Amino acid sequence: MGDLNAKADYVFKVVLIGDSAVGKSQLLARFAKNEFNVDSKATIGVEFQTKSLLIDGKMVKAQIWDTAGQERYRAVTSAYYRGAVGAMLVYDMTKRQSFDHMTRWLEELRGHADKNIVIMLIGNKCDLETLRAVPVEDAKEFAEREKLYFMETSARESTNVETAFLTALTEIYGIVSKKTLSADGDSEKSASLKGTAILVDQDANSGAKGGGCCG
Amino acid sequence: MLYKLGDFFICSSSSSGGGGGCQPLNAGVNLAITVFAALVIAAAMYSTTRLMKALRRSQTSSSSSSSSNSSNSSSSWIHLRSVLFVVASSSPASCSTSDRGRLKSPWSRRKRKHALTPQQWRNLFTPDGKLRDGVKFLKKVRSGGVDASIRSEVWPFLLGVYELNTCKEERDKLRTQGRKKYEKLRRQCRKLVGEGSSNGDSHSQGMESAESEEVVSARESLSSEEINSSPSPMNSGVLLEEEEATPGSGSTRFIDPNISDSESSDSDSSQSQDPPELSQSQTFPFPSSENEESSAVQSSEDFSTWQRIIRLDAIRANGDWIPYSQPQAEVSEERAVRSAEAVGLKDYEHLEACRIFHASRLVAVLEAYALYDPEIGYCQGMSDLLSPIIAVMNEDHEAFWCFVGFMRKARHNFRLDETGIRRQLNRVSKIIKSKDSHLYKHLEKLQAEDCFFVYRMVVVLFRRELTFQQTICLWEVMWADQAAIRAGIGKSSAWNRIRQRAPPPTEDLLLYAIAASVLQRRKQIIEKYSSMDEIIRECNNMAGQLDVWKLLDDAHDLVVSVHDKIETPTTMSSSSSSSLHHK
Repeated sequence: MGDLNAKADYVFKVVLIGDSAVGKSQLLARFAKNEFNVDSKATIGVEFQTKSLLIDGKMVKAQIWDTAGQERYRAVTSAYYRGAVGAMLVYDMTKRQSFDHMTRWLEELRGHADKNIVIMLIGNKCDLETLRAVPVEDAKEFAEREKLYFMETSARESTNVETAFLTALTEIYGIVSKKTLSADGDSEKSASLKGTAILVDQDANSGAKGGGCCG
Repeated sequence: MLYKLGDFFICSSSSSGGGGGCQPLNAGVNLAITVFAALVIAAAMYSTTRLMKALRRSQTSSSSSSSSNSSNSSSSWIHLRSVLFVVASSSPASCSTSDRGRLKSPWSRRKRKHALTPQQWRNLFTPDGKLRDGVKFLKKVRSGGVDASIRSEVWPFLLGVYELNTCKEERDKLRTQGRKKYEKLRRQCRKLVGEGSSNGDSHSQGMESAESEEVVSARESLSSEEINSSPSPMNSGVLLEEEEATPGSGSTRFIDPNISDSESSDSDSSQSQDPPELSQSQTFPFPSSENEESSAVQSSEDFSTWQRIIRLDAIRANGDWIPYSQPQAEVSEERAVRSAEAVGLKDYEHLEACRIFHASRLVAVLEAYALYDPEIGYCQGMSDLLSPIIAVMNEDHEAFWCFVGFMRKARHNFRLDETGIRRQLNRVSKIIKSKDSHLYKHLEKLQAEDCFFVYRMVVVLFRRELTFQQTICLWEVMWADQAAIRAGIGKSSAWNRIRQRAPPPTEDLLLYAIAASVLQRRKQIIEKYSSMDEIIRECNNMAGQLDVWKLLDDAHDLVVSVHDKIETPTTMSSSSSSSLHHK
């Protein structure tokens, strides 16, 4: 079979959302396959990848759902928010509008997903510093206000991509493992995150500042 | 593979293909492609790209391309593919030209006829340019597709731009009217580009900010037909009625996209307002100076949103058409850039000339379509459908009307209210249910009987799963079926005579093909998959794994065995009237 289900201690469902062409699929391809495809097509509906990783000695299988960015598809994609324990809210830091839309995406997410979902705000394309249209401060302020993690990434240059996902997954793991969810090896059961407060993680913020490509 | 990063040990899940680790090679490949793009001419470029793609594929997947000899037991390669990669849509198997020759499909065992040849095509016409035998024509196409050299002539018939019984004179007239109509839409688009924001620009994303420099360059038009037309200063409501429209030509010649086929749940509601463009343009929610967004009833999407997304998608359109469209592949840098400027395209510096040109044409036609059919506007996936048409049709206005014909059915998949797509998925589900109750029960158990896992296939009609050539084969066969039904010959005695050997034409060949592709995988699905996610993954990974003729063969078998159980009487009857130009 070659499937890693049997070995996974945890399966975490994470959704990638944000406007069209901000780089959601690229972030996922970079994280799951270490690939970057210059002409990646628009995602139709939803697609997903998984990646298994070891956190604290446990095998965690991240099941990451990539969604279409266009509003038209939102009814389809939002159906997939259910059961998600994490969300990557992605904007393109060279496109102000994609950042301005974060509020809407967040509403959408909070309307459909578990209340305690771990959310990470991601400003992608930080390799294009010269074209920056969203100051780090704006994003940080937004993230703090909304209690989100925040990081700037570049899928193209592979900057902070692992770190962003790992930060989110580790946070999820931290919450879930505390919540006595038993490791159920054979099922695709997604953990739930009842009653956990989420705080802005300072490391994540500093990661954004010091993130190699962004200076 | 394990490697250490910070405090985490990451274990690549890509057990078999080795695609998951941290190979820097891909970056190298991509870089190489970029560099090559600047250096090599288009033709040479393609073979290089193919090589690169092949290289990348062999690196990310252990499967060979094109599943050449896939018989019914196609499971052997499937189970290896437990690796989770959504095969990047840009890389369906790049084999193509020789597909038909190499594939031993049951189709060929049945002495499948070859593609309609130029000679045969010419012979089908009377001296005054009338098709002698529409049935023969469509039978030919549905059994083997169309020779590449005559596609641009044949497609308008298949897509209902011309009715089968028109003579040359009538078609010339329609063509001229169509061109004018399209040009008007383009002029209106250019005006709206000026009013709304043109995008792709990294700084000004405000809906209100006008990118005026593009308006100036927009005067330069894309195809030669447009050169005489200059942007009109009139307001857009009037624009559609302006001088060029010969009396009568402007109103009812062209189909209201709302009037359509059996898939339409609302065709009753829209029959009444026939003069389509006029009424649409007046109710159209483009951003006007006084009320920006208030008219966007259904969603916050408006024309400027569509324009922005159209450009994003045009830039990243597939380049796999390039080897099959020589004139466009050889377009000069200068012309390409000019065409880009004409439609206000930006951020194209990394593209080869032919892809810039292609992207610009996509923008022009998609924008025009969004105006023509504002209920749908633009939805991602539509560029996937248009791109092959652009590659085949050298004139934008012809591509536009072919696209309109294509969209007459496909548009329902893009509806905001999702009725169309749900209906289609439901039908796939029904087909599977009546063919294979065992598989269906398994799907039910996994709560996947709604067939949402074939969503993408339905929306972009296998474009992401098949190569350019394969896609076109499938579409031509499908269009021939739809044309037969449209022309009312689906039930004719002429067709009945051959019914013993071939399945009856159906509006939904695509859905049968999709069901066939799922049924081809029934064994793995039943035996190995224990969740819907796995089926979605499987479907997303079909790219490069499908044999189009085998697929069509299976689809036709399915039509024969379950068609009568599935088809409802309404499906067959309602569509006969529709044609792009009703007189």
